[in-house]
Amino acid sequence: MKKKKICMVGDFSVGKTSLTQKFVNNVFSDKYLTTVGVKIDTVEVMDTKLVVWDVAGRDSLSPINASYLVGAAGVILVADGTRKSTVEGLHEIWDTVAGRIGEVPCVVALNKADLDDWNVDEGKINDFKNRGWSVFESSAKDGIAVEALFNALVEKL
Amino acid sequence: MLRKFSRVVSINQTQNTINKQLVSKLQLAYFAVDPQMNVCACSSNLTDYGFPQLECGEPIDDQIDFMIGLDAETELDLPVMSSPSGIPISINMMPSDDQLTVLISNASVATEQRQMLQQAANENELLVEKQKKLMFDLETASIELEKKNTELEEASRLQTSFLSGVSHEFRTPLTSIIGYTNLVQKGIEQMSRQIASRIAKQDSFSYLNAVQRSSKHLLSLVENLLDHGKLDSDEIFIHPKPTDLAELFDDVELLLAPLSQTKDIELNVAFASSEGNYVILDDSRLRQCLINLVGNAIKFTDVGGVELLAHLDNEELRIQVKDTGMGISADNLEKIRLPFYQVADTGKVGTGLGLTITERIIDLMGGELAIESEVGSGTTVRFSMPAPQAPQEEHFSNLAAESNDSLKVLLAEDDSDIADLVTMMLMERGVNVTRVANGALAVEALHNDKFDLVLMDIHMPIMTGYEAIAELNKANIKTPVVVMSASGIEADQKKAVDLGCAAYLVKPVSVDEIIAVAKTVMIDD
Repeated sequence: MKKKKICMVGDFSVGKTSLTQKFVNNVFSDKYLTTVGVKIDTVEVMDTKLVVWDVAGRDSLSPINASYLVGAAGVILVADGTRKSTVEGLHEIWDTVAGRIGEVPCVVALNKADLDDWNVDEGKINDFKNRGWSVFESSAKDGIAVEALFNALVEKL
Repeated sequence: MLRKFSRVVSINQTQNTINKQLVSKLQLAYFAVDPQMNVCACSSNLTDYGFPQLECGEPIDDQIDFMIGLDAETELDLPVMSSPSGIPISINMMPSDDQLTVLISNASVATEQRQMLQQAANENELLVEKQKKLMFDLETASIELEKKNTELEEASRLQTSFLSGVSHEFRTPLTSIIGYTNLVQKGIEQMSRQIASRIAKQDSFSYLNAVQRSSKHLLSLVENLLDHGKLDSDEIFIHPKPTDLAELFDDVELLLAPLSQTKDIELNVAFASSEGNYVILDDSRLRQCLINLVGNAIKFTDVGGVELLAHLDNEELRIQVKDTGMGISADNLEKIRLPFYQVADTGKVGTGLGLTITERIIDLMGGELAIESEVGSGTTVRFSMPAPQAPQEEHFSNLAAESNDSLKVLLAEDDSDIADLVTMMLMERGVNVTRVANGALAVEALHNDKFDLVLMDIHMPIMTGYEAIAELNKANIKTPVVVMSASGIEADQKKAVDLGCAAYLVKPVSVDEIIAVAKTVMIDD
């Protein structure tokens, strides 16, 4: 069986841990609990053993620690579709990723699609697609597009 | 030499002891891999962090998940990672020539502090973001509110200007009516005191004509206002019926000639037909449009004249109203079609509704209004509408001219002025009138006596007209009932039809109308 490391990256409180937990353990919690450092989970997707590094989000105290990204075969860029700044920040986060581990396969999760105050420009989505990234409007809460976005990344690895 | 050797052994032992104490105190665990990433050494306490006991010589990525994807050459510091046991750990990877050593230490204390700090900071940041968003929403709502306020102010301004226009419009003819009526009263007094002179009679006639004109003007204002209300609720209906066009254009000329005479301008009305004068269309709506258009033309023309040309050809009626007035600028040409809009600085007063209503009515009658104008030269308004030939001309025989001596009418009307007027007018034509002041008395009268016709007002005290008609239906009294109401609303007319009324007349009603309807009803009966 193939073994691959992937990383969940994005701003704080966008739902990286929620997406990972929904996909790996099928659980969801509404309570926000910040991730310190990195949490590691493993799951089998098709013929691949996937090691998911759920990396602490970028916040006002610290940038993303790129050391956690070393060895990753791909990344899932996660943003909160109700917070415009987290969507716009994905390009900068990608620069951090690419600067450390090169242009690895990538998919984008615009998370919290279950909420009413959705605020994503169609133009932004097209920007992502033009970079060759698959874009998913996901909801860890309702399980929308969660499996699809992990599967899409595994197919690219 | 032996002493020196024994001192070296002693130093090595001390260092080992210190190392062991340090490893134990910091809960350090470690493992090492060769360049092929196979395990070559490990500490026994890796299991304290939930890692398996490693097997030397076997690949590390089969035994420890976080080593998947990594190589033996990269130096890495991973400050905080959750271990399989849940204890936060810190990882240091130190490559050397022949192996990679991975040190694992307990990071619980640092992680706990970091967790608290980061949680508080992030929650605070989320609150700030939420606050910013709320502020933005508030600002957007405030801008929207301001916009709505401006719109409301504009609507209120239009309404105020409309109301002041209307009140002025009503005041002018009312003043005229009151003044001329007063003069007529004085004239009659004089006539009764002295020998009736021809001059006094002529004056009285001209005063009464003025009262008539003013009353008609007031009536058209009221009708315009009501029609505008109906425009909003799509309640204007067209009722085509056989119409004598020559008579209609004569009427329009007679009605508007006094207006042009007061302004000392010419009014020329010409109707030509290649196929007779009798067509099917809604004469009262066409008359309303023509009065509005020609009235407007006269209003805005101070020198020259106004021309109304009509031509009936191939079942199509083409109409042109041309004036030599002040004209309309291109800028205002579209705006004047809007309700309540009035061109500023013309010095003319109006409701700003006439053209809106006229255009809509023409549209409903199957025509389209076109306006051409040049400032200083005048304005030409054109429209055409279908006007199919009427099948028979005998519909227009003048029933009102016949003798009415045998006609016996019951009039139910609570307004004594109107009752007086209608009674007087009918009696002048030889009609026998009995008056009652409410629906209940009308029902009683019809139980006790026989009448040819009932003229029934609707809004009356004790029993309304509709209630009375329902009572008559119950009692199987078949006398034809003609409703006379101030309400021009279709729903009221429908109610009258549903109750089996013979006809519905909208006030003010002329005696000719009443007699014509009475004859029709009685012939039908």
